[in-house]
Amino acid sequence: MAIPKTLKEKANKAMGISTEDARITKTYLFVAFMALLVGGLLGLLQGLNRAGLLELPSWLNYYQVLTAHGLLLVLVLTAFFTIGYFYAALSHTLGGLLPIVRKMAWIGFGLKIVGFVFAVIPILRGNASVMYTFYPPMAASPWFYIGLALIVVGVWMCAFGAFIQVANWRKNNKGKHVPILSFFATGVFILLFFGSLPVAIEVIVMIIPWSFGWVKTINVMVARTLFWAFGHTLVNIWYLTAVSAWYVIVPKIIGGKRWSDLLTRIVIIALVIMNITGGFHHQIIDPGISASVKFMHVFMSLAIGFPSLMTAWAMFAVFERTARKNGGKGLVGWYKKMPWGDVRFLAPFIAMLAFIPAGAGGIVQSTNQLNQVVHNTMWVVGHFHLTLGMSVVMTFFGISYWLVPYVSKRVLTPAINKLGVIQTIIWTVGMIIMSGSMHTVGLLGSPRRTSYTTYGDNATALGWDPYLLMLAVGGTLLIIGVLLQVYAVINMMFFAPKGETEFPIAEEEEGASKTPYWTERWGLWIVIMLIFVGMAYVIPLTEFIVNAPPGSPPFKTW
Amino acid sequence: MNQFFYGLLLLIFLALPPVAHLLESIMIVHMHMQMPMLVIAGFLMARLFQLRFPAFFEKWNGNGIPGIILFLIIVVFWTIPRAMDEALTFPSMEVFKFFSLSILAGIPLRDSWKKLSTIGKNAIIVIFTIKYFGMGLLYIKAPVQLCNNYLIIDQLTLGWGFLTTAICLVIYLLYVTFTDPTKYE
Repeated sequence: MAIPKTLKEKANKAMGISTEDARITKTYLFVAFMALLVGGLLGLLQGLNRAGLLELPSWLNYYQVLTAHGLLLVLVLTAFFTIGYFYAALSHTLGGLLPIVRKMAWIGFGLKIVGFVFAVIPILRGNASVMYTFYPPMAASPWFYIGLALIVVGVWMCAFGAFIQVANWRKNNKGKHVPILSFFATGVFILLFFGSLPVAIEVIVMIIPWSFGWVKTINVMVARTLFWAFGHTLVNIWYLTAVSAWYVIVPKIIGGKRWSDLLTRIVIIALVIMNITGGFHHQIIDPGISASVKFMHVFMSLAIGFPSLMTAWAMFAVFERTARKNGGKGLVGWYKKMPWGDVRFLAPFIAMLAFIPAGAGGIVQSTNQLNQVVHNTMWVVGHFHLTLGMSVVMTFFGISYWLVPYVSKRVLTPAINKLGVIQTIIWTVGMIIMSGSMHTVGLLGSPRRTSYTTYGDNATALGWDPYLLMLAVGGTLLIIGVLLQVYAVINMMFFAPKGETEFPIAEEEEGASKTPYWTERWGLWIVIMLIFVGMAYVIPLTEFIVNAPPGSPPFKTW
Repeated sequence: MNQFFYGLLLLIFLALPPVAHLLESIMIVHMHMQMPMLVIAGFLMARLFQLRFPAFFEKWNGNGIPGIILFLIIVVFWTIPRAMDEALTFPSMEVFKFFSLSILAGIPLRDSWKKLSTIGKNAIIVIFTIKYFGMGLLYIKAPVQLCNNYLIIDQLTLGWGFLTTAICLVIYLLYVTFTDPTKYE
C-alpha cells in the first residue's frame, strides 16, 4: 500500500488539510483562545485586587478568581492549544489523520469539556477555592476532582490517538524517520501520558475518597510529591511544544534551514527522559527529605538546563546563518536582516529572548539556598508568568498567525499582521512590567496567593504597594493584549479572506549528516525514563510512606 | 583514547573522598548509583584495552560468555549486604570495590555485550530481573538490619529501588517480545 499512501501524502501537502482534520484543530484552538479571554479577564481582576484598587465581592472572591484564572490558563489554554497544534502537525506531516484517531480526538474533546464543566461549577459556587494545585490538606468539593480526572482521561485519549497515528505511519514507511514535527508530538504525548499518571493516582486513589469522606485522612507529603511529578512535567510539555515551533517553524518563516536534525531529536529525547524527575525541586522546602537527597536532586533538575542550552545555541546559529545568507554583515549587525515586521517571527523570537531570564530564574529556584529566599513569594508568580506567559504563550500566539488561517483555509492579511506586531509589543511591555514587579516584590517578601492586605498597615507590607501598583499596570496592558489576540484569532478563523496558507516546516540543511536510526526507539527511551523516575522518587516516597506522620483530615480554609 | 580519559576521570571523581562519602551515606545511592557508575567508568575505559590487547580479548573472550560470566559474578557479589558493609569497614575492600566494578565488571561487559546474541542479551536481562525481584523482596521483607551501616528505612528504600528497577526491566522485556521491529525498520 506504499504508493497510494505517498499519493495521499502528496495530495495532503498540495491541497492543505482535510476539512475533518481541520475541524478538530479549529475547535481545540477556539476553546483555547476563549479560555485565554476569560482567564485573562479574571487575571485582570486579580491584579487590580492585589494592587488594592478593587475590592472583589464576597460571591466572587480573590481565591475563587485565582483558582479559575489558573485552571483556564494553565490547564485549558495550554492543553487545548498543544493538542490542536500537534494534531494539525500529525495530519499535515503523516498524510491525514486516521478515522479512528479523529474519533479519539473528539471523544477526548468531549471528556475534557465535561470534566471542565464538572470543575467549574464547584469553583463558581465557592466550593473549590484550592488554587488549581491539588494540595492536601486543602480540600475542594469531590466533583471538582472528578472533573479534573475526566480532563486527564480526555488528554490520554488524545495521547493514544497520536501514538496510533505515528505507529501506523511507521508501519507504512519502514526505516524512515518520523517527520520532525510528529517526532516532537510523540515526545509531548509520551510526557503527557506518563506525567499525568502520578496526578491521576493522587486524585483518583487518594483525594477523591478523602474529599468524599470515605477515608478520614490523607498522606500530605505523598500527595504533594505525586502532584509535582505531574506539575513540573506539564510545565515542560508547554516548553517542549514551544521549542518545536522554534526548531521547525521559525527557520522556515525567516527563510532558513533547520540546523541539525540529530541535535533536535536528541534534545527531545533528553527532555522526555529527564523531565518527570525534575518535579522534586518544587519541594525543596518540604520537610521529611534529607539534605543530601535534596542536594543530589539539584543535579537532576539542572540537567534539564543542558538541552535548553543546546536549543539556545542551535536557534542563534540558524538566525545568524540565515541573516548572513541574506546579506547580513558584522559581528552582530546581521540582526538587521531578520524579518522584524513579521509577527510569525517576532512573537516567537521575543518568547525565546524571554527564556533567558526565565531560565535563569528557574535555576535560582531549584537551588536550595536561593529557594529559601523566594519560596512562596510573588517571585515565583513572576517566574511562571515569564516562562508560561512569555516564552510559551508568545510562541503560541506566533503559531496562531499561520495555524489558524491554515486550518480555516484563509490567509493572514497585512492588517492582521500589523495588529499582531502591535499586540506582541503591548504584551512584551505588559509582561516585563508585571513580571518584573512580581519578581522584585517577591524578593521584598510579599507572599503569593494572598488577597490584598496591608497587615494592619505594617511598614514592610506598605513598602510593597508601589510594586503591586506596577503589577496592576502591567496586567492592564496584558488584557489589551488578550483582547487584540482574541480579535485576531476570531478574525482569521471566520472573517479573513479565503485562500491557502502554508504549513511552514523548514527543511534540513544541505549536506546534513544522516540521523542514526536509534533515535526512533521510543520503547527504549521510555524504559530509561521510567528508570530515571524510579531513581528520583523511590527514596522520598519510601520515606514518606514508611515514616508517615498521622494523616490529615480535609480542611476548607476559605 | 578520549573514552578512556573520560572513564578514568569519572573513576577519579567517584573516588574523591567527599563524593564517595556522600554517595555511600545513602544505601540505595551506594548500590544503585555509585556502583553502576563504577561499571560505566570501566565500560568507557575498556576501549583502550580492546585496542591495545585485541589478542587477549580474542583468546579469552572470543564468544563473550567468559566475560559476561565474570561481570555477573562481580555484580552479584556487590549486591550481597555483607559486601557493602565490608566496603565501608575495610579500606582494602573499598579499593577492591573500585577496582572490581570498573576493571573486572565494566571492561568485560563492554567486550562481551556486542559478542552476545540477542537471546544471550535478553537472557542476561532476565537473570537480572529475577535477581532484582528476589533482592527487592529480601530487603523489604527482612525484619532485621542486613547491613550494620544502614538503618532499616535505608534497607526498605533499597528494596523498593530493586523492585522498581525490576519492573522497568520487565517492561523492556515485554517491549522487545511483543513489538516486531521488522514491521517498522
